[in-house]
Amino acid sequence: MTGRKLSRRLSFGALFVPVVAWMCYLFLLLPSTIVFPISFGNTKEMEFPPSEWSLDLYRQFFNDSAWWGAMTQSLFIATVTTVFTAVLSVPAVYALQRARLPMSSALTHFTMGPLLVPVIVLALGLYLQWAPWGGLDRNLTLVLSHTMLATPFMMISVGASLRHVDPALENAALIMGASKVRIFFRVVLPQLKSGIAAGSLFAFLISLDEVIVAYFVTGPETETLPVKMYSAIRWEVSPVIAAVSTLLTVVSMALAVALMMLERKQRSE
Amino acid sequence: MTTELAEKSVAADTGSMMIEVHRLTKQYGDFRALDTVDLSIRKGEFVTLLGPSGSGKSTLLNLISGMTSPTSGRVVINGVDATDMPTNKRGLGMVFQNYALMPHMTVFENIAFPLQVRGMKKAEIETRVAEVLKLIQLENVANRRPRALSGGQQQRISLARCIVYNPSIILMDEPLGALDKKLREDMQLEIKRLHAELGVTMLYVTHDQDEALTMSDRIVLMRNGRIEQQGSPETLYFKPDTVFSADFIGSSNLFQGRLEGEGDTVTLTAGKDRLAVELRSEAAVGPGDEAVVLIRPENLHIADGAIPEGTNVVTATLLDTVVLGGVVRHFLRTEDGRQLVAQVLNRSDRARPKRGAPVQLYWQVGESRLLKADPTFSKQ
Repeated sequence: MTGRKLSRRLSFGALFVPVVAWMCYLFLLLPSTIVFPISFGNTKEMEFPPSEWSLDLYRQFFNDSAWWGAMTQSLFIATVTTVFTAVLSVPAVYALQRARLPMSSALTHFTMGPLLVPVIVLALGLYLQWAPWGGLDRNLTLVLSHTMLATPFMMISVGASLRHVDPALENAALIMGASKVRIFFRVVLPQLKSGIAAGSLFAFLISLDEVIVAYFVTGPETETLPVKMYSAIRWEVSPVIAAVSTLLTVVSMALAVALMMLERKQRSE
Repeated sequence: MTTELAEKSVAADTGSMMIEVHRLTKQYGDFRALDTVDLSIRKGEFVTLLGPSGSGKSTLLNLISGMTSPTSGRVVINGVDATDMPTNKRGLGMVFQNYALMPHMTVFENIAFPLQVRGMKKAEIETRVAEVLKLIQLENVANRRPRALSGGQQQRISLARCIVYNPSIILMDEPLGALDKKLREDMQLEIKRLHAELGVTMLYVTHDQDEALTMSDRIVLMRNGRIEQQGSPETLYFKPDTVFSADFIGSSNLFQGRLEGEGDTVTLTAGKDRLAVELRSEAAVGPGDEAVVLIRPENLHIADGAIPEGTNVVTATLLDTVVLGGVVRHFLRTEDGRQLVAQVLNRSDRARPKRGAPVQLYWQVGESRLLKADPTFSKQ
């Protein structure tokens, strides 16, 4: 009796959960997918569904050096941010987990700080801090600000990887006579590869589509793609941003899929 | 004259010792994990640290490897005071229970790692790795990842990784703990073979008495951070000095009671039984003292007809009989509730006593061993 009741409940759950999950996905995805058809529409105004189909918006994007420049600027900032975040976070995670520093757990929580402060507050704070130092409209300023935003994600991802690295391996290497530096580069770092890859993807995407902080600290010289899109919506309402959005989405998804395939390959090895 | 001689003999001693531990103590807060331990290990010796968990054997191993530093005392490795030497300068090798092979390296790279650390040339590394792979008979797995191998193979790789760079001593921390019984026995013989062939000094930690008895030149039995007794496997099995040693190694039948009488042979009264025992000067017990008499199961016989002279006899009921292949174990209980074990060789033609039947048990007075009673020890 109870067995039958249980199986009925299970089959109900087996059906109910995926349906709800898919409804949530669609609810979250539909508004952004609406820009895909619009991006293949005409160049005069945004309309859905488009009355005529063309690639004019993409042509316009690639011919306009202002758009094109913003895109390369964004990719450049995202790349440098990723490198900075990794170089900063990996040794920090290693030290916090292995060195038994005083207050290491408090410090670990402290590095999650940027997640807890509203981004607009951070942006305003950074703006007020950088302005008197003459740091606005500079690539380094933007990279450092984005590094701060991306660090918690890199720390979490690399930290999870490091928890799977058996400390006995480091002890074994130490007994075999290896120096601490060699142990870090030959024993620990290779095993953090997947964590660093995942963290890097996060860092890259966070920097690539970050608009609030970038809006505050960039200027005409350093304008990134999301900032340019935001301005375009406010001042020109150019339908070309539908093409830009589509391109950004495709780039992000391509990176995410590449990472998933990379992880699957590593696991099968 | 005498002091000069003494100094000379000490110097000669130091030359043949691989590890010397002097009054080594490790304190964790209120807990003394290791308590003023002295231990010397000769070059080429196979020494086992045996004891229950928390007895200090792993602490001693970690102090020798330098993974922890002592509260007081000295560690001397190959004649050099290594007490304050960092782990990676001590020139040791270690085999871990979970193998500790690098998962991101192939078998070849794993074994080559300690040689690269020593700055060896590539060509020589290749020769040396090939040599040890041949020695452990795993030449065909050089390019595999450790995870693709069985537990036994991984442990042999881990052993090869030690052997390849000739460490002064190989420390082993329960290396066979993760393997099943059959594989464990094979690996015990494999380790013994390598020890005999290479003449390398080994310090082996285990809580498994059978493993210790099988492999060691010398067993160091530990209890509560101290050395309880050390000696060859035979000494520990046949001549335990304490009740704890007697109980920890092998099975034992123990009778506790007060000694009475005079002369070399006295009487121990345990419950209803009055047992004749031979006094031993080392046992440091005499008439009037609480003492324990130990009889190994193979020396406890079940009467089958006439009982020989010079024996003690007790009456018991047969509870159960277990056939362990070549030997048979009889589990018995005396009238006052004492559990006893008797072990005989199995023979197909021998009639066995029936379960529940009363039997007479006897042993030669000379085959029992008198021990001092230990108020801190109670048999579970």
